[in-house]
Amino acid sequence: MTHAKFTAQIRKAGLLATAIAALMASPALAKVTVLGWPGGPEETALRAAADAYNAKADVAEDDKVELLFFNRDGFWDKLQADLAAGSNAFDVNLLATYSIGRYAPFMEPVELSGEAAGVYGDAVLKTMQFEGKQFGVPTDLSLHFMYYRKDLIDALLNDDAAKARYGEISERLLGKKLEPKDPDAWDWDDYAATALYFTQSVNPESPTRYGTVLQIKNLLFNVMVWQSLPRAYGGDWMDADGKVTVNSDAYRKGLETYKLLYDNGATPRDSLSYEFPEANAAYASGQVVAMLQWNAAASDLTSTEKSPTVAEVTETVAPPTGPEGRFTHIHGLGFGLNKNAANKEGGVKFLQWLSSKEAALTYARNNGAPALTPEVVREVAQERPDLVKLGEFAGKYGYVMSGGTSAGALSVYELQAKEFTGYWSGQQSLDEALANTEKGMAELLK
Amino acid sequence: MTTTSPSARTPEFRLLATPLVLFLLVFLGFPAIVNLVYSVSHVSFETLRSPQLSGFSNFAAVWNDTAFWRSVWFSLRFGALTALLECGLGLFLAIFLSPLIVKRSWLLAILMLPLMVAPALVGLMYRLVLHEFVGPVPHYLWIWFGTGVSFLGPGSAFWTLVAVETLQWTPFALLLFYMAYQAIPADIGEAAAIDGAGPLRRLWRIELPLMAPTIVAALLIRFIDGFRVFDNVYVLTGSGPGGATASLSIYIYEAFFKQRAIGKAVAASVLLFAASFAVLYGLNALATRRKGAAA
Repeated sequence: MTHAKFTAQIRKAGLLATAIAALMASPALAKVTVLGWPGGPEETALRAAADAYNAKADVAEDDKVELLFFNRDGFWDKLQADLAAGSNAFDVNLLATYSIGRYAPFMEPVELSGEAAGVYGDAVLKTMQFEGKQFGVPTDLSLHFMYYRKDLIDALLNDDAAKARYGEISERLLGKKLEPKDPDAWDWDDYAATALYFTQSVNPESPTRYGTVLQIKNLLFNVMVWQSLPRAYGGDWMDADGKVTVNSDAYRKGLETYKLLYDNGATPRDSLSYEFPEANAAYASGQVVAMLQWNAAASDLTSTEKSPTVAEVTETVAPPTGPEGRFTHIHGLGFGLNKNAANKEGGVKFLQWLSSKEAALTYARNNGAPALTPEVVREVAQERPDLVKLGEFAGKYGYVMSGGTSAGALSVYELQAKEFTGYWSGQQSLDEALANTEKGMAELLK
Repeated sequence: MTTTSPSARTPEFRLLATPLVLFLLVFLGFPAIVNLVYSVSHVSFETLRSPQLSGFSNFAAVWNDTAFWRSVWFSLRFGALTALLECGLGLFLAIFLSPLIVKRSWLLAILMLPLMVAPALVGLMYRLVLHEFVGPVPHYLWIWFGTGVSFLGPGSAFWTLVAVETLQWTPFALLLFYMAYQAIPADIGEAAAIDGAGPLRRLWRIELPLMAPTIVAALLIRFIDGFRVFDNVYVLTGSGPGGATASLSIYIYEAFFKQRAIGKAVAASVLLFAASFAVLYGLNALATRRKGAAA
């Protein structure tokens, strides 16, 4: 082949490649692309909501919704990288209470429909606010229930010998003689005493191997489960002046209670590697009496097919109380507007509809978990009785730590998970764990 | 007929080399330069396109971070131990099972199966296998000994992770060693046997020296793989209680995404790159010198 011929062929190939690239780069149809949370009830609910929206006569063809899903693994990291890179691959994206501050610089505040306050209530709308601005529609709420074995607790309450033994154990290990109570009236000492009483290594007559199961893997979500304990003793991340306040008696009480339970074998020995599924498996085995767990576990733990050993004897109440009240951590998943959205106008229209009563009820009827006000939840109470408790607990006991929606919130949870598990596993003292946490948080929240 | 190799100066050669050069510049050169800039900058996700130079403060932060040195120590221990165990076991199995595999080659395919599983999936699998209420191992331990065993607790997690890694990657070493063992000419062994050398003496004096280059290569590959471990450890224990099972890869990942300390994470990766380069350069120089001495 001559040099000239070779060069001509290369030119032709170059032209062809350019033409193909140009075709592939042609602008996409002007739809509203929504990035959702894949693979769970949230996906089912979002699909139903999108179908309902697209079926509406007044939605223009260019504003129809198309759904996009990443994998759950590393979802937030990938979303952060995409948003920071200025991606316009999606117009509306998922966001969570604990990460709003992180994504806010790449998103735009939204004005919700006039019905939103009456549908969700102020406490729930706040889970999607950052610096006083509404960044999203709170479609799914997560909080904690205390799951317990009603049969075993009832047996304890009706047995005088067992009550005496309970008193002895609580006096020996907690330093005060307690009497068994109905779980809805427990404070955190009652929770600890019951967990110890039902632990075979503490009480060989216990019908279960462990009194509780703590999920204390070095994972940010596990801190969320734990922190309602210090909150009940007045714990908070910061005071009104922005000073970090975790080096407090409330945090000491919370950390020491878990340490006491772990050291006395009231929770499985591998609890330091447990998260949501491991804790559920332990409880469902029938070898655990009570545990704090996300509301998302309710359907599995009360299903006779999925948890035959415990389903019919499991009850749920709000987490135990403390001197400062009864609390459950809440955070929401929701949808907000990408600053670089290709179809911003269409995205706003969809978000406004999503915050309406019609959308909330569609979402609720299709496996979603919106926290609705009592007036609205009444309409789906028969189909979704679990949402009644969700809305009630969120309204009565829900809280977000001061700074819990800031840009550094996720990193704060990560830091706490690392330092607190270091204490629970005996690698550092309580003083060291709290001092390190306070120092790290001061950096992250400044 | 004579053939001529294309000169590097001809336009055709340059044209053909251009895609490769461009690929290297775009996908290796550009990120490397960006990383170097980030490592000496104050940068966040909001300022990725406008980092501010901050001298060597990121390197100082990494250098003074006890978590960094802890992760380096974890990775070194993990890499060295798993490499030794995998190669030791692989060598033993390659020689011990060799007569059997020669006759039934499908056995080799079965032994290779663990390599077909993604490391993250192996992590997930062992989360189930070792769970006290789901896994078969704790279940039988409870039945036989009446007590639960903490496989992933603070005192045992490291050894469990080493065992999981070893179980998955020993077949890789076995494969390399089996091939090397089979490549030894049979007449050498026969001659040694005629001279009165027993099996152990033949192994020690003839077979192992002939397999030495493969053994060194396998040790190096497995050490590098163990040193940079991420997926199965992250799935099984995360970074462990108090960061006890954070490898260097996990340290960098968490600094970047979880702590959002991009400069610090990149500085740590630059240090890792420099250390790896120094070690590999040293090993290469050593090998070249030995080769020269042998010639």
